[in-house]
Parts: sequence; C-alpha cells; structure tokens
Amino acid sequence: MIRIAAVGDVHIDKDVVGRYRPALDELPDKADVLLLAGDLTRHGTEEEAHCVATEFGGLGVPVIAVLGNHDHQSDQPDAVTRVLTDAGITVLEGTGTVLEIAGVRLGVAGAKGFGGGFAGRCASNFGEPEMKAFVGTTEKIADSLGEALRALDCDVKVALTHYAPVPDTLVGEPLEIYPFLGCYQLGQAIDSAGVALALHGHAHHGTERGTTPGGVRVRNVAHPVIKAAYSVYHLLDDSETAGSTLAAAAR
Amino acid sequence: MTNTDTNRPVDEYVEAEVQRLLTEDGRISEQGLTVSRRGHTLILCGDVESVQRREEIVRLVREQFPGIDLQVDIGLTRAGAPTEAEELS
Repeated sequence: MIRIAAVGDVHIDKDVVGRYRPALDELPDKADVLLLAGDLTRHGTEEEAHCVATEFGGLGVPVIAVLGNHDHQSDQPDAVTRVLTDAGITVLEGTGTVLEIAGVRLGVAGAKGFGGGFAGRCASNFGEPEMKAFVGTTEKIADSLGEALRALDCDVKVALTHYAPVPDTLVGEPLEIYPFLGCYQLGQAIDSAGVALALHGHAHHGTERGTTPGGVRVRNVAHPVIKAAYSVYHLLDDSETAGSTLAAAAR
Repeated sequence: MTNTDTNRPVDEYVEAEVQRLLTEDGRISEQGLTVSRRGHTLILCGDVESVQRREEIVRLVREQFPGIDLQVDIGLTRAGAPTEAEELS
C-alpha cells in the first residue's frame, strides 16, 4: 500500500509559519509522501517561498509540489521554485518523478494547469490574440502534463495539478467561474496515461471527490475543502502491492 | 462615484468592487471568498489562514466602503491532522 498525503492552497506567509507543524510532525506516521497542489504562497515572493520551505521542508518524507496561480503573482515562479528546490521539495511543471515506496514505484507527474472550462462550455482558440493566448496556454500546459504522465516508468501513476481536471470537484463554486477553475484538457491528459489518482486544488468552495470521463478518481485537496492540514489516500491494498512487486521482480 | 463615498447602496457594483478588492489588493489577495447580497447587507463568506488576514479584510472593506451593512462570515481553515485516510484500492 502507498499512503499519499496531499493539500493545496495553503497560502503560506510569515503570519502562518508554524500553523501546520503539529499536524506535519505526525505525517511520517500516516503517509509515505506529501503532495502540494499549488498556491503554496500568497503572492509568489521569494520571502514567502522561504516560509513554505520552513513549514514543509525536512518532514522526513518526500515532498512534491506544483505551483499555483498565487505563486505566479509576483512574476518570479523560477525564484519560488529555486527556494523550494533548495529546501528539498521537488517542484513539477510538465515534468514527473518516480519514488520507490515499499517496493512499488510511484510516479508523480504534475503541472500548474490553467482555466478554459469544460466540455461543451469551454473557451476556444479563436479570435483575438488575447483569447488565443489564453486557450493556447491551456493546451500547452495540458499537453506537457500528458507527455510527462505517459513518460513515467513506474507501477502506479498520480497526477498533480493546481487547476481542476473535471467539473465534479467544483460543485459548490458558482457555475459562472468554472472556466477560471480548470479545463477539460487536463482531464484528457490524465485519461491518456493510466493514472490511478488525480489531485488538484484551487477551488476553495468545491467538493473533494470526482472522476474523470475515463474513470480516474479525482480529489480536490484545497485546504478549505478538506478541512484538515492534509488528506491521506491509500493506494493499492497489500495483495496488489505484493503482486506488483512480484511482477516487477519477474521483469 | 468613488469607493470612498459614504452610504453607497449595496448593489451589484459594490458587490463586484468588493470581490475584486479581496483578490487584487495585495494586502488581502484572497480569491477563495464569496461575496453575496442579502437585502441591503453584503455578506463575505469563506475561510482564511489566519485571524490577522480576516481582520485586515474587514478593515479594508470598511475603509473602502464606509457605511455599508457588512456581515462577515469568514472562518479559519482547520489545520489539524486528519483522523482517517481514504482507501482507494
């Protein structure tokens, strides 16, 4: 069994450093890895990134993150990424990483994602340059996520985004803002790659559980949604883990 | 009409301006709060990460929209460890 802890939208700044630590100190007993689903900071400054590094660094389990829209607000996502990376946090953007946990290779690929909307009610790559740039960004990021997911060489795949890949987990948000909360292209990328679980944040008033059209389970782990410092998901029961290990040994 | 006019009615424009203030003012930067109107009252709803952030929201909205009837229903996100895991096998 692989135990995955996840939370998004923690919006760390100096006023909340230490707030998560009591729960994080328990995390290694509950989970093998922590995934952070974007909006780690309030304004995407280096100073705030250092606060994130202080709060989520040195946990005793691997920490894997994607950035969110807040982490881009100061136009220095590379600096934020560098601070987090220096603290031992793996930051994904159209990329993936593989960890070995209890003999199982867990692959995580991630991207921030973007808006655009969902099937039949989405923006099109048409018209003004601003509109084409918007939808072009949606497509480019989703394509990079799909490629990174398909390239993972592992036993179990998890997709990590900030924006939502399905509308199911947005229930509770106003319908009018769905196109700013996610896009179907992320779901399509996830469905192209044999993913076991997709995690996202961004929708503070949304719903925890959903499913892609291809049947992949989706969880919205935005902090206000999960009402805890993190959620924990158990993937694979022990028999599956043993089977996977045997299959891997046989290769 | 400017933001600092007193006794503005709580209408669609106030609702829109407050919602943008909550996100675009760098002292707040909260995108996850809902703004709604009930009768003549403006209601702010959602969760933030600290008491200071909630106080700053109330202070700035009152400063920019003096005299409006404001109801603040903003809670603090819960940061305790989870007591259960979800089995996805």
